[in-house]
Amino acid sequence: MKRFVGLFVGMLALVALAACGSKPQGPKIVIENAWGRPSPKVATAGAFYMTIRNEGTEDDALIGADSDACGTIELHESYMKEGGAMGMRPVPGGKIVIPAGETVELKMGGLHIMCIDKQVDFQPGTKVKLILHFEKSGDIPIEVEIRNPMN
Amino acid sequence: MLRNRHFWFGFIGTLLLVGLGWWAWDRFRPYAFHGTVLQSNEPAPDFTLMSANGPVSLSDFRGKIVLLYFGYTFCPDVCPTTLTELKRAMEVLGDDADQVQVIMVSVDPERDTPEKVQEYVEYFWPTFLGVTGTPDQIAEVATQYGIYYEKREVPGATGYLMDHTATVTVVDKDGYIKLIFPFGTPGEDIAADLKYLIDH
Ligand SMILES: [Cu+2]
Repeated sequence: MKRFVGLFVGMLALVALAACGSKPQGPKIVIENAWGRPSPKVATAGAFYMTIRNEGTEDDALIGADSDACGTIELHESYMKEGGAMGMRPVPGGKIVIPAGETVELKMGGLHIMCIDKQVDFQPGTKVKLILHFEKSGDIPIEVEIRNPMN
Repeated sequence: MLRNRHFWFGFIGTLLLVGLGWWAWDRFRPYAFHGTVLQSNEPAPDFTLMSANGPVSLSDFRGKIVLLYFGYTFCPDVCPTTLTELKRAMEVLGDDADQVQVIMVSVDPERDTPEKVQEYVEYFWPTFLGVTGTPDQIAEVATQYGIYYEKREVPGATGYLMDHTATVTVVDKDGYIKLIFPFGTPGEDIAADLKYLIDH
């Protein structure tokens, strides 16, 4: 009997140790709700939006993206200038930092993934394959749904 | 019993008064616009710019409410956001939408032909109108309407981008500037203001 208890305790310890060892270190990126706005053919550029969550213990950064649907992709932000005019610029430093434990929102009128020289028609229902490049997490392939913005 | 009856008369009477007061206040209080109200004594400056179907003047639309927006087709974020809200406003207005004319003036005449702007705005709503002109003409109209825009070279594939005032200017049926909607005004709010202007 005593032996069994000993074995049991030993197993518990092992499980605890294993759990400790596999405790995730580093960033853990989760992408949600990736979408793009429908646009006419004549609009040569489009924008993708999404929610990027870092569930890990270390900061990461989105540094770029690729897609067959776009000639070029840049990370942009729209911002309000002095006097209320709206401007758009490549993100400062060329990357969007996703701090550990935080969520960054790419949304209309703010941060966006800019798709320059659209290669496909951005009709509602279209799915665009996109590979996101992260500084530490590497490449994360996702699918972007072209749909109308929800209110 | 008698006292009880008095109590109920008083109670119901008070309720009725409060209800009546509320109704009167709601009915007769001045309408509060969502947009910024402008009182101008001068009519909105007239202009003539080029559409896909020939020259178009602001004065062509006297009798309608005109919404002026300055943007450009390469703009993938700010302009579609505003045009989507304007589309929403048209949807909410329903039958009244035909009393409203949305005109987008391109601030990027270098890249935007009249046909291009038209195709762009039509994608949002079939009656939206797109116009452009020579750089000088655009500059003149923009100045008249207090619209700032600036071409900015950017590193990367875009070549250049346009920074621009992203407000919507409302010209009423008599040709006077009435309201300014800041960037991000919801379509429902725009529709409510326009509905008031249509009915009054
Ligand atoms: Cu952009």
